[in-house]
Amino acid sequence: MISTTAEDPELSPTAAPADPRAALRVRGLSKTFGTTQVLRDVDLEIRAGEIHAFVGANGSGKSTTIKVLAGYHGADPGAEAELDGTPLDLGARAVKRHDDLRFVHQDLGLVPDMNAVDNMALTHGFRHGRFGRIDWAAQREFTRQALQRFGTSIDIDTPLESLSAVVCTEIAIAAAMHGWEAGQGVLVLDEPTAMLPPAQVGRLFEIVRQVRSSGASVLYVSHRLDEIFELADRVSVIRGGHIVATRDVSTLTTDELADLMVGQEGSSARNVGKSAPGSEVVLRADELTGRTMRGVSFELHRGEVLGIAGLVGSGSEEVPYAVAGHLGSLLGGRIDRMTDGGGRRRRAVPLVPAHRLQEGVFLEASVAENLSISSLGSLSRGPRLSARAEEAMVDGWIDRLGIDAPHGDTLIATLSGGNQQKVVLARCLNQDPEILAMSEPTAGVDIATRSRIYDLVAREAAAGLSVVVTSSDLQDLVAMCTRVLVIRDGRVVQELLGEAVTETDIIRAMEGTTAA
Amino acid sequence: MSDSLTEVVERPARNGPTPPPPRARKPWSRHLAFTNIGAVYVLIALVVVFGVWVPDTFLTLDTFRQILNSNAVTALAALSIIIPLSARVFDLSIGGTITLTGVVVTQLIVERGLSVPVAIALALVVGILIGTLNAVIVVVLKIDSFIATMASGALLAAFTTMVTGDVDVTGVELSEGFDEFGQHLVGGFALPVYYALLVAVVLWFVMQQTAFGRRMYATGFNKDAARLAGVPTETLRFVSLMISGGIAGLAGIVLAGTLAAGSVTAGAPYLLGAFAAAFLGATQLHGGKFNAFGTLIAVLLLGTGVVGLGLAEAPTWSHDLFTGVVLIVALVATRYQRSNRKQGAASSAD
Repeated sequence: MISTTAEDPELSPTAAPADPRAALRVRGLSKTFGTTQVLRDVDLEIRAGEIHAFVGANGSGKSTTIKVLAGYHGADPGAEAELDGTPLDLGARAVKRHDDLRFVHQDLGLVPDMNAVDNMALTHGFRHGRFGRIDWAAQREFTRQALQRFGTSIDIDTPLESLSAVVCTEIAIAAAMHGWEAGQGVLVLDEPTAMLPPAQVGRLFEIVRQVRSSGASVLYVSHRLDEIFELADRVSVIRGGHIVATRDVSTLTTDELADLMVGQEGSSARNVGKSAPGSEVVLRADELTGRTMRGVSFELHRGEVLGIAGLVGSGSEEVPYAVAGHLGSLLGGRIDRMTDGGGRRRRAVPLVPAHRLQEGVFLEASVAENLSISSLGSLSRGPRLSARAEEAMVDGWIDRLGIDAPHGDTLIATLSGGNQQKVVLARCLNQDPEILAMSEPTAGVDIATRSRIYDLVAREAAAGLSVVVTSSDLQDLVAMCTRVLVIRDGRVVQELLGEAVTETDIIRAMEGTTAA
Repeated sequence: MSDSLTEVVERPARNGPTPPPPRARKPWSRHLAFTNIGAVYVLIALVVVFGVWVPDTFLTLDTFRQILNSNAVTALAALSIIIPLSARVFDLSIGGTITLTGVVVTQLIVERGLSVPVAIALALVVGILIGTLNAVIVVVLKIDSFIATMASGALLAAFTTMVTGDVDVTGVELSEGFDEFGQHLVGGFALPVYYALLVAVVLWFVMQQTAFGRRMYATGFNKDAARLAGVPTETLRFVSLMISGGIAGLAGIVLAGTLAAGSVTAGAPYLLGAFAAAFLGATQLHGGKFNAFGTLIAVLLLGTGVVGLGLAEAPTWSHDLFTGVVLIVALVATRYQRSNRKQGAASSAD
């Protein structure tokens, strides 16, 4: 339904020096949300029959690029794209950009309690017999043929939830590639190993190589550097919404690639405002286990900002929840508080949760109601909440953190993400805690608020607050932390101190590519 | 960032001497806005319409009294579910609770010969116990409240039939004081009107003026966020069902008083009316929150429409038509209102 009128005369292939081997070529792709430019002139060229890795840190614009290619977002005017020699309109949002460009997203888009036959039918429709009855024999044959591609026999009658993760990925890839001739098509794999157990990654690589040998191209999105060196032919690095390099993988080292991802500014630690922590231990965690933690131990000192780094699924994301006491029956090991609180209220460890909209804010409530929910006891006079005390408290925080709301009655849903996050932070700090736990403190937060949060944490730490923080945005850890523990496969594998807290070092430790 | 250096280290004065800076408050006109108390305007419009349609019978004090007296039990039933609904917990067993407590209180008086106050107290305890049973199923056994309380409502109906043999509880003993509890007039209004008003005031205080109410709403808005902010969400959900059991129990006792009998079918019809009023009431006064006075306004609006249509001798199906149309219009209007306010809220991370 989307008209692909060539509004731009430059869209003709002769306008730019094109690589004749290019299967997918994107030029000048920009994307602006509101006033924020997320992508700036992204150029991407994927050759026919290559595995092209696409890497970038969190917030680099990687996901946005993929979403534009998938038709989830429309690009800003001026973007050009070409697929197998025909123009591709990236402008409007579209259900599907082109039949030669197909996606396997991280969650695979399969229905776990249905079998392979049903799942194939969801993407490609059912084969019908007489009276509109589903022709199950034809349907099964069709499924079997599609799955033959990778030369393994897959049980097509078992619900996918009973199959291994890599087999499900295999089914998703086969379903995505169905109908392509040899040498046709670009397949985008969005972090296919994120949900895979390490033992199954090798099998996935075999499948991806088979896709390549069929002549199709693969755009392989990942942030695991070791995978890229094992699998990819070329790699494009995106940083700050711009492609900073496209290289042959064989010409790169891991360190060079990490530096490209992080950029110059990441190499030096930001020590502004960091104060040296005291030696007094306020909390001791001993052999913590959870869904993904497999024995995490550490000590937290007074006035320390302790960062916990790790890839998704490493266990790092559970640490703040464990410290704040929200892991419930999942938590094993023990957490001891070592002090009487030093005059600060001892019991509660407030938590800034990872997913603000799901776990942080009450969208239907006002700024005041969101801010005071954890401090209602101290705002009550007898049984009754003191409206005056609440207003004074809320107005105080609105002023001190520069929360952009005309008054406390403002619905929090009308605030920007950054301002909502300030409200959540104010909620936590108003409890006058001894320890604060934070997860993804700057997710969806604008630059100005981000530095404001860094400063706020630095001041509070100087005043004696101890902080445990995890973030998939390593810039957060570098900016705030005096010490970073790196977690891999559920255990602390490295401790970085002071000057050693740089994005490059953290990435190396997370990836397990530490130079010996 | 230097401007924030001194700002962030200070904490807001909780009891400090410095007065907060004056801020722009919500203007008074907003309290009278259609989006805030639309039902009141619709109510006024209804009075005008029926005043013109059937001026002789509608615009009388007796009609006003009739509207209030005949809707007091509905009001109590609707008020009973305000607190659970605020915590996003459904209690569909209130119909069964109303019937059973009515039967229990009359049986205690007629067959056990208990005094009226003791019988009422025991029946109230039965209501709270029903609520506790619901709470155990919903909160401890973690069954979805909608289906769990529907099931317990069926259990209550079965139990009622078992203890009564499906025969209404009647007896001359019920006319010796107990009927006064439901029928005595003060200033032309039956006592149940005052009970409903009293319960509404208590609920207003609890939900709008205390930490308990705030935490209850927070639980309903976003249970995970509330839990992570230190709100004991499961305890609150448990208590909310005990409260609805207790207030529904009161409604059942009052209903038995007005009927001077323990009816084995009386409670069920109040279920839908209660939910209609509670949901309509949530669109009033407190911007989408289930609340006591909004609910009273809703009961009044729906009751006025039904009584007015009765006086105008409109066909009986018009009553249900009226209720259905009002509900749908109110809920659709609120939905649009809310989605407009929420726009620009969701920020997507990369």
